[in-house]
Amino acid sequence: MSAEERTDVAAPREIVIVGGGHNALVAAFYLARKGLKPLVLERRDVIGGAAVTEEFYPGFRCSTVAHAGGPPLSSILQEMQLAKHGLTRLESPVRLFAPSPEGRSLILDTDSNAAAHRIAEFSQRDAARYVELQRALTEVAGILGDVLSLTPPDVDKPSAEDFWKLVKVGRKARGLGKKGMMRLLRWGPMAVADFVAEFFETDLLRAAVAARGIFGAAMGPWSAGSTALLFLRAAADPFPVGNSAYPRGGLGALTAGMAAAAKQAGAEIRTGAEVERISVKNGEVTGVVLRGGEEISAKRVVSGADPRRTFLGLLDPVHLPPSFVTKMRHYRSNGTAAKLNLALDALPNFTALESASEGNAALAGRIHVGPGIDYLERAFDDSKYGEFSRAPFLDISIPSVLDDSLAPVGKHVMSIHMQFAPFQLKQGDWALQRDALADTIIKTLAAYAPDLPGRILARQILTPKDLQDTYGLTGGHPFHGELALDQIFTMRPLLGWARYRTPVKGLYLCGSGTHPGNGITGASGANAAREILKDLR
Amino acid sequence: MAKHYDVIVIGGGHNGLVNAAYLARAGKKVLVLERRHVLGGAAVTQEIVPGFKFSVFSYVVSLLRPEIIRDLDLPRHGLEIMPLDGTMTPMPNGDHLWRVNDHAKTRRALERHSKIDAEAYEEFGKAMVAMCRFVKPILGMVPPDPTSLAPRHWKVLASLGRRFQSLSAEDKYNLVQLMTMSAADFLDQWFETDVLKATMSASGIIGTFLGIRSPGTAYVLLHHYMGEIDGAFRSWGFSRGGTGGISNAIAGAAGEAGVEIRTEAPVARILVKNGEAQGVALESGEEIRADVVSSSVGPSLTFLKFIEARDLPGEFLEEVARYKYRGSSGKVNLALDALPNFTCLPGPGRHLRGAISISPSIEYMERAYDQAKYGEFSRRPYIDMVIPSLTDPSVAPPGKHVLSCFVQYAPYKLSRGTWDEQREAFGNTVIDTIAEYAPNLKNIIIGKQVITPLDIEQQTGLSEGNIFQGELSLEQLFFLRPVAGWARYRTPLRKLYMCGSATHPGGGIMGAPGRLAALEILKDVGGGKN
Repeated sequence: MSAEERTDVAAPREIVIVGGGHNALVAAFYLARKGLKPLVLERRDVIGGAAVTEEFYPGFRCSTVAHAGGPPLSSILQEMQLAKHGLTRLESPVRLFAPSPEGRSLILDTDSNAAAHRIAEFSQRDAARYVELQRALTEVAGILGDVLSLTPPDVDKPSAEDFWKLVKVGRKARGLGKKGMMRLLRWGPMAVADFVAEFFETDLLRAAVAARGIFGAAMGPWSAGSTALLFLRAAADPFPVGNSAYPRGGLGALTAGMAAAAKQAGAEIRTGAEVERISVKNGEVTGVVLRGGEEISAKRVVSGADPRRTFLGLLDPVHLPPSFVTKMRHYRSNGTAAKLNLALDALPNFTALESASEGNAALAGRIHVGPGIDYLERAFDDSKYGEFSRAPFLDISIPSVLDDSLAPVGKHVMSIHMQFAPFQLKQGDWALQRDALADTIIKTLAAYAPDLPGRILARQILTPKDLQDTYGLTGGHPFHGELALDQIFTMRPLLGWARYRTPVKGLYLCGSGTHPGNGITGASGANAAREILKDLR
Repeated sequence: MAKHYDVIVIGGGHNGLVNAAYLARAGKKVLVLERRHVLGGAAVTQEIVPGFKFSVFSYVVSLLRPEIIRDLDLPRHGLEIMPLDGTMTPMPNGDHLWRVNDHAKTRRALERHSKIDAEAYEEFGKAMVAMCRFVKPILGMVPPDPTSLAPRHWKVLASLGRRFQSLSAEDKYNLVQLMTMSAADFLDQWFETDVLKATMSASGIIGTFLGIRSPGTAYVLLHHYMGEIDGAFRSWGFSRGGTGGISNAIAGAAGEAGVEIRTEAPVARILVKNGEAQGVALESGEEIRADVVSSSVGPSLTFLKFIEARDLPGEFLEEVARYKYRGSSGKVNLALDALPNFTCLPGPGRHLRGAISISPSIEYMERAYDQAKYGEFSRRPYIDMVIPSLTDPSVAPPGKHVLSCFVQYAPYKLSRGTWDEQREAFGNTVIDTIAEYAPNLKNIIIGKQVITPLDIEQQTGLSEGNIFQGELSLEQLFFLRPVAGWARYRTPLRKLYMCGSATHPGGGIMGAPGRLAALEILKDVGGGKN
């Protein structure tokens, strides 16, 4: 018998949340705060989704999937009182260390003057322009910052509220003056390679900044629209090359704190509870069915899972308009990122650091491997034809430099985000290619840190296939779907359905597949909760 | 002797001539100055090989605005467009895809490849028509300034908003996708046949330095689709006597309206005094005064070459220097002793009367782009070719033919060597590529002309050889073309205007920039209605 026919004895729950990722937990908190006692159902035994800390080798733990948090919106950090729930931010003064093949390097400090000083070693002009870029991105953040926590307007009949919210953003934009506004309009759709070229002449610096526009995307620096992605990220952190703050204990500590906050507010969280189906009756959601058959009836279901999984996996398409299903099938969510986590018996020695005054302190932030725009673009090229990059772009962190809770004394964990590894391989499958991928990453890195291979005690490789199968990211996409011009803001996940509601009454989305859906900011979860509460009024 | 004019138009390309004609018809005394001995800019016919008339650069037409054809009565001045019937794409496996204007035929042709696509093709056509209906008025519109609070700007934006609102949900969805997606991704949603997607997506990259997978190319796809639904003539076509015929017709209309046209009169400088354009100085040293100067050449020539830096605001010059041209295409014109014989459809036939597209697969197209990104011309390029002599015998001796090949990618900036060193190799690559599908080609060539982006720049004055006088990329469209804040045909200098393809709505033999600029000039200086 199906859920539709069975009549539950238990009174239906107010709200059930599918998935225990960070957005789901944020949504749970805000809903619980209003006394709705949401039930969070996490498929795995550990909550956090892609923001988890796991032991991948005895004694060695790291943020296995995402390693550099959003950062979460300050409003969320405060309202959830995450500090009180055990969240400690470890912040490295060095944000990014970008070695070049010639043994030179950019070491970009949080203090932009210090950063500019290092850049001057490459180009005086770039040093000055770097400060300008930071100013420009701070302006962008000033405007887009509000947009992150904005429900995209209703394109069919914008409400007065939509209108005024946009006017508010518009007013801020006017603050930029005509030139500033036009610049923003011109920059948005541009290729990030062109954007950085407007500021810098040093290829290494161009690449280090441009990387932020292609991180986790199926785009190269020459893909139009990659600047918009850089801006989306700058809105959360205007520092040109992104943030380098890690929660002590890895991102799992962040989501653990969120879970604690949600529980304290009245949410219930169950792990090892995989939702197999969302039940619908007469176009209205009636609850969920767990693997194993347990049925939980609910008045509202909020899905933290990605849109494809939610609509094409958990729902029976008969409950959706055919055109909606077609469009959802076209929603692009094939990932290009892989993850390699290494257990190291000591810090590797980077050739570029032998002469650097910072020494290994430079390893406390993020490490960027991708010395030039063409390098990044070629890495992307391979993936277009179903092959992983022979010379990949790597975004690396060694959290154990600042955090002694992750590895045995003197030992370290290295977390490597790799691009590009297409979900769909032209030849063979990931089961056959996974080791070749890991070897390629290590070989690439060894060119900068020759002793790395000898330091490896264990490795964990996560291909896009693993990201899908283990972490439930359809297509292995870290952001629940491409963050391209056609899939952001009012178009995320689909035009007309960007307001966290769905064609099924009582079913909502709160995951990264909704606006702004970008990294570990929690904004999608908070926005969704706000809209759900509106409907409950 | 110093003769005085109301308006001097710099450049005798189709936009310059349209601009001049509209101004003269409003009673202005207009002088057009063309650097070359021949009018038309990139729309010229030249007898390069004796007896063979090549449309040297631009070779087909579809976008020419119907209101211009009407207003200037171009048919009476000799404009004759002969339809170009369909597109044939030969495939490496000996198969082919042949789409013609006849829907039933095309449908059958598609069914051979995919029944689903044959269905979808009809739907797609309808959807695109709806999109064109929405976008078309924008082509005839002076771009508003979204940063201004002036009512005349907001009214326009608001009306655009309302028109968008009035679209159906499906149309809205398609429109935002066309404005933001790549041609390949967009077509992927409609079709499954690789060769169909490849050939259709090709029109999304023409004249840009983008690949079919680059966001923004879906719009260019639409830009080219536009012509195909035009009331004036339903599809792409040839101009009798070659593309120069269009320029000559417009020149004829302009002359009749009283426009004075001087060829071999290269402009050296625009005369500026106290922030106001007062005329031009020719390379010969001759100075000609006018109340208004209207430049149909690109921003680099107009503002960086013809005007002293000190006469323009620094910020404006920065933006002009930033404007992207990035020529990415070349041209190979062949004089043939006989018709090429395609393995997929042997012998002569109607398939040779349309366009023949070398675009066998999405991957082929994308790899062609990849090579260009790193400064090499495509080893296996995308080629769009036509044999105008089949439709218009006047362009070749009896029994002989002209094969006009548009080739992409040929990057203006090469990573190694110069275009003068590479020209021969480039020409051979194109011939070898075509010969893979039409093996007899090499034996029937009796004359060839290879045009590199450098040649386009040097001969037509199009900077970096971009055929649209600047890339049609999202950040260079509408109110951002050519320079944000200066998209309304005016410039920082009083009495100086832009009327070329570098202004909205951009390139292609459309004439819209020339016309819109003329109307704006008349608004400012006053003048009869047209």
